[in-house]
Amino acid sequence: MKIGVISFAHMHAFSYTKALLEIEGVELTGIADPVEERGRKYAEHFGTVYYQDYRELLKQGLNGVIVTSENVHHKEHVLAAAKAGVHVLCEKPLSTNIQDAQAMIDACKANGVLLQTAFPVRYNTTVVRAKQMIDEGKLGRILAMKGTNRGRNPGGWFVDPELSGGGAVIDHTVHVADIMRWITGTEVKDVYAEVDHLISENPIDDSGILTMEFDNGVFATLDCSWSRNKEFPTWGDVTLEIIGSEGTLSIDATSQKLHVYTDESGYRHHAWGDGMDASLVRDFVSSISSGAAEASVTGEDGLRALAIALAAYQSSEGHRTVAMAEL
Amino acid sequence: MLQVLVIGAGTMGRAHAAAYASMPGAQLIGIADIRMEQAQQLAEKCGTRAYPSFEDAVSDLGTERINVIDVCLPTPLHKNYVVMAADIGKHVICEKPLARSEEDARFMIDYCQEKGVRLFVGHVLRFFPEYVKAKSILDQGGIGKPAVIRAGRGGGYPIGWNHWYSDFGASGGITLDAMIHDFDYLRWCFGEVERVYAKGLHGRHQAQLDYALVTLRFRSGVIAHVEGTWAHEGFSMNLEMAGTKGIIDYDSAKDSPILFKTRSNAATIPGVAVPESPLARSPYYRELEHFMSCIRDGSEPLVSAEDAYEALRIALAALASMDSGEPVLIDNTTPVITST
Ligand SMILES: NC(=O)c1ccc[n+]([C@@H]2O[C@H](COP(=O)([O-])OP(=O)(O)OC[C@H]3O[C@@H](n4cnc5c(N)ncnc54)[C@H](O)[C@@H]3O)[C@@H](O)[C@H]2O)c1
Repeated sequence: MKIGVISFAHMHAFSYTKALLEIEGVELTGIADPVEERGRKYAEHFGTVYYQDYRELLKQGLNGVIVTSENVHHKEHVLAAAKAGVHVLCEKPLSTNIQDAQAMIDACKANGVLLQTAFPVRYNTTVVRAKQMIDEGKLGRILAMKGTNRGRNPGGWFVDPELSGGGAVIDHTVHVADIMRWITGTEVKDVYAEVDHLISENPIDDSGILTMEFDNGVFATLDCSWSRNKEFPTWGDVTLEIIGSEGTLSIDATSQKLHVYTDESGYRHHAWGDGMDASLVRDFVSSISSGAAEASVTGEDGLRALAIALAAYQSSEGHRTVAMAEL
Repeated sequence: MLQVLVIGAGTMGRAHAAAYASMPGAQLIGIADIRMEQAQQLAEKCGTRAYPSFEDAVSDLGTERINVIDVCLPTPLHKNYVVMAADIGKHVICEKPLARSEEDARFMIDYCQEKGVRLFVGHVLRFFPEYVKAKSILDQGGIGKPAVIRAGRGGGYPIGWNHWYSDFGASGGITLDAMIHDFDYLRWCFGEVERVYAKGLHGRHQAQLDYALVTLRFRSGVIAHVEGTWAHEGFSMNLEMAGTKGIIDYDSAKDSPILFKTRSNAATIPGVAVPESPLARSPYYRELEHFMSCIRDGSEPLVSAEDAYEALRIALAALASMDSGEPVLIDNTTPVITST
């Protein structure tokens, strides 16, 4: 199976590519990147061919491609892959607006290729176990949820809205919003949010608290802020507190860790749990090889999560609750 | 020596009575509770006298001998007893929330002022050393400019006298009863609140559970998230302040200096874990001692009745937001009087 990677703009490209190499029967056909220095560096590192132009890479008879370009370029890259008949794994957020996301979904459908949104948290072993407990009915009926997905300000193109489409809210809402949809099996009905630029030097949203109400009356909040500073012992967190009629469930997806104190780098967490990126990539590859009709996490899932983030921006601007139906 | 009469021998009455019993400069002269047995047990422990009612206590002790009346009654009774205390010219300490409604709270403050008695409200979180320390780090610029704040508290569903906690009209649920601590503390730290948005379980789920998630937007720009729970096992509280230059993080469930566990018995009775955070002087002691010293020298308290009123308004705004599904603005037109 021939897989390529379009752009190393997003740092996840590194772990995804590394994961590809570990899968038997997968050939890393090439890396395309408009930034030659970056593209050559990683092509060399992974022992593959560098392409300046992603169109050249798409001509190499690929079965699948991983799109890890800047958010605004996802559409162009996914549409080209679809046209070339290549299955796509696209980094989150799927896009920066609903129209583009829909166009990407439609193009992949029309060309009969899979479109998978890269939501690695779905493959986190802790989260998977939690979902299993919920499905077994241990919590009874889910009543409310409280989530966090906080991190450091990633800098670079992430803080340039022309390339990212937004800051912390578009970057960090989608992971946990997707998990909330997944475990409740319902859709968000409306969103309220307080969003602002309060922390970093760059004039971009870095602070956000969303409140969501789901179709079945479950309510939830989500802190998506880039509020972790450089001395915080790790990059951030993914947590979810679930209140059920029969009990509560506290999920801390990154708490499989060592506390390490060194004179050189102070206090740091070192994770020892299962990596989620490798499972994500393996799942994409197996969907291709099994000829699955749909990816296990679809473009539609990516769009729904994106829409929640976009509703949050709209809500915060208007100081009002925004119904998803308005979008 | 300030002579204090405590009304109510429930959870809070016990905490207050224990504090007075060991406080130099204060004397616990009586405890009144309509459940005489309850009053007697506590009075015996604290070496004071028990009464079956406020009226009995006052007529037996005589108004001359009482300096302070401390109201530790269920919230909807606060108003009547504060008024009665003011009527006999006594300074009042009243447990939080000051009242169940804004009108009652305003009435109580004005009434005490008219009668020339002082009114103190038990917003004890301002006397918890960990919260005091966090504020002092914040005030010294330790985390730069504050940005996103998270606070939370709660545990199991409280069982009070006559199940008054589960009567929403009486207690106001988790939001009015417990989260008001955080609302007051956050307002102390970050100033006035502009908008409140909230969701809660009240009205959605019939069982004895309450859970609420509240977002506060301060005029300063700070965004705060407050969680209140009567849906968990075991009390805990937490606070995180993230700013431009640092983070302060506290979770009583994670930092427990003492944890006693009983061994499970023949696999039938599970063991229980009882955490404790011992202090030479409890936060309740610190609070009441502070109020005593304010009464003695006429100084302003760290938390005023107006502060309690503002905290109540935030809690009521949260309840209103739960009902309307929209953010509720805290009306800025009323003059804001702060204690600090
Ligand atoms: N500051 C805090 O941390 C904190 C904690 C818990 C409760 N509170 C507040 O303290 C107040 C009391 O709560 P609680 O948990 O102690 O309640 P509780 O139900 O444990 O105790 C109330 C007591 O009042 C007695 N009582 C009822 N009516 C009376 C009357 N007319 N005259 C005399 N006694 C009467 C009852 O018999 C009972 O013993 C409430 O406003 C509550 O919100 C504050």
